[in-house]
Amino acid sequence: MSQGSPLTQFTTLFDNKTLSMLERMRLNPTRRLTNRSRGEHLSGKGGTSTEFSDYRNYVPGDDVRYIDWNIFSRLNRPFMKQYQHEEEMHVVLILDASSSMDYEDKFLRCQQLAAAFGVMGLLNFEKVSAYVCHNRGGRPQQFLPTTGRGSMKRLFDFLSQLEPGGDSPIESAVDDVLRSHRGRGIAILLSDFESFGDLQRPMNLLYSSGLEIFGVQILAPSEVNPEINGDLRLVDSESGQTLDISSAGDLLGLYHEHRCMLEEHLATLCRQRSGKFLMVNSGDNLEYILFDQLRRKGWVI
Amino acid sequence: MNFWPGFYALQSAWFLLLLLPLIIFYFLKLKRPHQRVPSLALWSQVINDRRVNSPFQKFKRSILLLLQILLLLFLVLALMQPYVQSGAERAEYLPILIDCSASMAATDTETGKTRLDLAKERVTDLIDNMLPDQQFSLVAVSSTARRLTAFTDNQRVLRKALADLTVDDVPSQLEDALRMTQALSRTAPIKTVLFYSDGNFPREVNFELPFDLNFQLLPAAGANMGITSFNARRNQAGNWDVFIRIENSKQADSSAKVELIQDGTSVAEEEIVLGSGDSQRLEFSIAADKESQLEAILKPGSKDSLASDNRAFLTIPPSRSLLVYIDPELASYRYALADNPELILYPQDKSPTAPPEYDLIIGSSERDLNKPALVKMGVGFVPEGLTKLISLESNLTDVVDWNRSSTLLRHVELADVQISQQPVWAENANVEDLEELGYEVLIHGRLGPLLLQKRNEGELEFYFLFNTDRSTLPYRVGFPILVSNLIQLTLQEAGISESQAPATPVLPPLEFQPEKQYEIQTPTGNELRAESDPNGRITGVPALHTGQYTVNGAGADNAKISVSLLNPLETSLVSVEEIQFSEVPITATQTQIDSDKPLWGEFAFIAFLLLLGEWWYFQKRPSGTMS
Repeated sequence: MSQGSPLTQFTTLFDNKTLSMLERMRLNPTRRLTNRSRGEHLSGKGGTSTEFSDYRNYVPGDDVRYIDWNIFSRLNRPFMKQYQHEEEMHVVLILDASSSMDYEDKFLRCQQLAAAFGVMGLLNFEKVSAYVCHNRGGRPQQFLPTTGRGSMKRLFDFLSQLEPGGDSPIESAVDDVLRSHRGRGIAILLSDFESFGDLQRPMNLLYSSGLEIFGVQILAPSEVNPEINGDLRLVDSESGQTLDISSAGDLLGLYHEHRCMLEEHLATLCRQRSGKFLMVNSGDNLEYILFDQLRRKGWVI
Repeated sequence: MNFWPGFYALQSAWFLLLLLPLIIFYFLKLKRPHQRVPSLALWSQVINDRRVNSPFQKFKRSILLLLQILLLLFLVLALMQPYVQSGAERAEYLPILIDCSASMAATDTETGKTRLDLAKERVTDLIDNMLPDQQFSLVAVSSTARRLTAFTDNQRVLRKALADLTVDDVPSQLEDALRMTQALSRTAPIKTVLFYSDGNFPREVNFELPFDLNFQLLPAAGANMGITSFNARRNQAGNWDVFIRIENSKQADSSAKVELIQDGTSVAEEEIVLGSGDSQRLEFSIAADKESQLEAILKPGSKDSLASDNRAFLTIPPSRSLLVYIDPELASYRYALADNPELILYPQDKSPTAPPEYDLIIGSSERDLNKPALVKMGVGFVPEGLTKLISLESNLTDVVDWNRSSTLLRHVELADVQISQQPVWAENANVEDLEELGYEVLIHGRLGPLLLQKRNEGELEFYFLFNTDRSTLPYRVGFPILVSNLIQLTLQEAGISESQAPATPVLPPLEFQPEKQYEIQTPTGNELRAESDPNGRITGVPALHTGQYTVNGAGADNAKISVSLLNPLETSLVSVEEIQFSEVPITATQTQIDSDKPLWGEFAFIAFLLLLGEWWYFQKRPSGTMS
């Protein structure tokens, strides 16, 4: 990716060209979970916009201003006119900044993707907030909900200054985030999802909080295709725990099986909650991820 | 063959204890490299997978350990020096006798290999499979025995000695080799002796075997035709009759062409056809007034196994008259030889001069015999050295017995010869006393010997202990025959009337200046040194190869003498399958001896392959990597 001169670039996370392309993209949620405050997203409920939605029978207590009097005159029965309701959607960026992400551009890709999703949210008048989880039980580093193009620079600055480190697993990170988060919309989970814990619970929590789950698993090339052999002592980058394996080359087949199973499991968890899932190789080109993978998967339009 | 291997260095099995530290260190994984990974979550799942923990997978995970254990096992096995036991008794000290006589140069019709090549192959096989505690000694058997190596386990030395071994154009003499081996047994305990030969030697060997002899009979060679005799005799006309005997081996009928070359010019040629095992004597007549070199060349019409017997050499001596001195008192001898044109009698009435050396002296006193001569005959006295053993009495006696095979007495009838002088044994004297002094009794009388013979440093001496003129011998038919035999004997000694082709393995006596050093160049290019004795004779010079020998030294300026094989036994290629020793017969075996085959090389090779396998397994690209 061409970064250009830092002085002429809007952000160090990606170049201006990529940024301009991102500005024309918007997120494509499945469930349209929105807040009651007005926004640009058409709500599923009847609203007060000028765009007609549907008719329904009148029930006592309804606002008579919305009765279609022309139909009443013809049918002698009152029908309520319904209009599309444009509401605000909250885009919650949850970044896993534990030590496991500090590995072969994983966290850089995480920052870039978060910034890209943030740009899409801000330029489409969504409320965008970001939570960065470092340590288990600790308060996540927060980028307060904000809207509008003017907040874009602040979001970039917030994301650029992040440093990975800590031992927060993703399930713990979701707990920490939901403790302080309010609002419906989209939760974009950026993590490697390599956790010893149960991943179902955080998904349920997010879903029950009115957040549509966009799961992005970011793996390093050496995690996708590890090239190791012989007898090794593996050291966990987060906990420092060790695991001795023998004849690692023969275990790679099983490793791939388990990695694919995890990927499939995560995709299932997201799909069951009307969400989306994407596995990203941090070694892949950013443009390829943003403008090819995300489009083909229907994440953005 | 016993397929259960034996171990020569069983104590090396202690190295198997290295398995303990190997396994301990492997599981301690002291040098397990650290690999930092983002998370152990996936790897923990992999390790906890049921398939990983299946027994086969556990084994598969430890395949490096298994390879290391196998590598160590094979290395230790190689160190233990295993060998496949042949079943034959293994000799620690093994003398190997290799026949390298002329017949060993006979080639095979199919492979073209000589018998010696086959023997070398078999011995090389033995050397290659030599075990560490074994020592071989190679002994070449030809007309004599030559120890090629002392007892050694140095395979390089043995192989070199074997490679340098060549065929000698001589008949084989097994006895010498066995006696040498017996001498070797004093330095090392010898149980068995290996003998590789084509069996072309006399069946009976006068030797008492103190060890087991394993006679390895080599396969028979093809057909052969060769010259087995080459001589010449001067005839009455003054020419030379040349006799060549050609013999054929028993394998097949053969034809050949025989060419006689005199001083480089072909003088005669004859074609012959011989049945299997037949021989033929060819006769040619040539004129030669002076010394002449003859060469007989046999040109076989079909495949001939042995080349060394296809040429023979003969030297025709220059013609001259015999110089004979006869004591004037011995009138009967002078009378018998007076008209013989082949000799000049001394002393002569007309000329008082006498030659410095005679060919034959017939004297009636010791003084006459002091003159130098090739053949001497004393008549009517007892030699000085024998006066204590024999005395002469004036009694009538007659001949009891005589040696009819003696050259001097051939066709001489001595029965009923009356003798008026009787030699009588002194008290306690007998034939053994004479034999100790070098005398041989040719005629036995009633109370003592009548005729003695002695070979004295190239001179042949005869002693009639009675005066023949005082007997009826001069009046018998046998007397002129006896005198004629004496002349023929002198002619032979002087080399005037007959000539025999010299044959291997020794050069005929050469006569040059006394006590001088001479260099003799052999046909193979080697140089021998010899010193002449006080009489100027050089004797005992080995002639192991047929061809021309050149002598250089004082009085011998490039003197040439050619030697031929001329051995009917070698030419016939007959092989005996049983050697008859004094007590036991030894039967030949054509089965190759099975030697213990060492296996350490194979085990070391397997260990090397395991090392390569382990290296490959350790270095190979991880399997299951997704592209």
